Amino acid sequence: MSKYKLIILRHGEGSWNKENRFYSWVDQKLNSDGLEEAQNCGKQLKALNFEFDLVFTSVPNRFIHTAWLILEELGQEWMPVESSWHLNEHLYGASIGLNWETMALNHDEEQVRIWRRSYNVTLPPTGESHPYCHEISDSRYKVCGVTLDQLLRSEILKEVLERLLPYWNERIAPEVLKGKIVVISAHGNSSRALLKRLEGISNEDIINITLPTGVPILLELDENLHALGPHQFLGDQEAIRVAIKKVEDQGKVKQVKK
Amino acid sequence: MSKYKLIILRHGEGAWNKENRFCSWVDQKLNSDGLEEAWNCGRQLKALNFEFDLVFTSVLNRSIHTAWLILKDQVPVESSWRLNERHYGALIGLNWEKMALNHGEEQVRVWRRSYNMTPPPTEESHPYYHEIYSDCRYKVCDMALDQLPRSESLKEVLERLLPYWNERIAPEVLKGKTVMLSAHGNSSRALLKHLEGISDEDIINITLPTGVLILLELDKKLRAVGPHQFLGDQKAIRDTIKKVDGQVKVKQGKK
Repeated sequence: MSKYKLIILRHGEGSWNKENRFYSWVDQKLNSDGLEEAQNCGKQLKALNFEFDLVFTSVPNRFIHTAWLILEELGQEWMPVESSWHLNEHLYGASIGLNWETMALNHDEEQVRIWRRSYNVTLPPTGESHPYCHEISDSRYKVCGVTLDQLLRSEILKEVLERLLPYWNERIAPEVLKGKIVVISAHGNSSRALLKRLEGISNEDIINITLPTGVPILLELDENLHALGPHQFLGDQEAIRVAIKKVEDQGKVKQVKK
Repeated sequence: MSKYKLIILRHGEGAWNKENRFCSWVDQKLNSDGLEEAWNCGRQLKALNFEFDLVFTSVLNRSIHTAWLILKDQVPVESSWRLNERHYGALIGLNWEKMALNHGEEQVRVWRRSYNMTPPPTEESHPYYHEIYSDCRYKVCDMALDQLPRSESLKEVLERLLPYWNERIAPEVLKGKTVMLSAHGNSSRALLKHLEGISDEDIINITLPTGVLILLELDKKLRAVGPHQFLGDQKAIRDTIKKVDGQVKVKQGKK
């Protein structure tokens, strides 16, 4: 029986989502679609009478703005929002800024899908000469002790989970266990990593899990914070299927170009 | 000698500021002028190279939205009812000009600005009572719902604000963090009174315009080293203060 509820949310769309580029820790703003997605998400949660106690986000602005927009729709702007780099997206190394479709042309679609979705496969690390190195080696990471070496690495999903878990265990889980209803506003891969852990999804199956932007994901947990069933997307299920397909198709080469 | 700097900001204009109504704990949004004021503050802070480590707001959305509009990068924002605007009790929603017609300009000025005067409390029959007290933000405060104020004097505002200043805000300032308070006219006046040592009689003359950054320089014991300073075009600020002061004057034609 469900003892706790957790809402996980992949941030609204930014321009690089639309351009099918590896975002990673680059701090792009929400685009107009992303703003609308976040507002719709808030309206949906309001219609479902969700009342939260606490919001956790990652550090880049689009996650925080997504959280703010949702809270505004709910009329709960006063709610505590805590941000941590532990919830940041997968560090994609040298692939940051590259376009998935172009990569699929050069390396094929299945390889790009594996790079984006698998648990253990690493992309090449970045270096100080990378065009986005200075953008991601931002002062906000210096104050939380993330070194330049850590920022230049490329992570596998397994490593995303390894750096996320202490934060889940020490900050988020205790709040959930107190009975607080928590929202986590994060990215596709940091959300997938957390769902893998809580739902017990295997290393092989995680590659098939796709999360659309701006759709609230409900996970019901037992008293040990294990998922009681698979995560559920809240909202119009047909629209959600279309949104999932859109994310999955981002790594595909368009037929006419082949 | 100044060791710390504190920025205090009265949130941008909301609809009821323009209508000269006691807004208090009613959760009015910023109007378009208020949005513009907030953006201007953000630009000004950027030009002055201010970067905050922490921002404190009340739980009223006009103070939070003002902070959100000013902050361009992620800075932790903490909200507390203890920074809320003064609770004006039964006066909430009433228009100052009409009240000045009925009770005299001086009486209204005393109600708005004095230190010790507590207006009549709000009752369940008040049109905004349930809007305020049935909101979930007041169920999760560090004070029980039935203990929260039903009306306050400025003195009482300071009494509920000071523990928060002492326990949450001051320790951060003492650690050398650059802090901004996005608050309200009276909660800001109460704090300035405390930090600057303004007398009970003189506080009535302190007016804070909306959307204008206030700098207070503090010594190592967090006492003001001089009076608060408004940052920005001083003539424009004087005009705005005059406008706020003039809000209770009965227009000549109506007298």
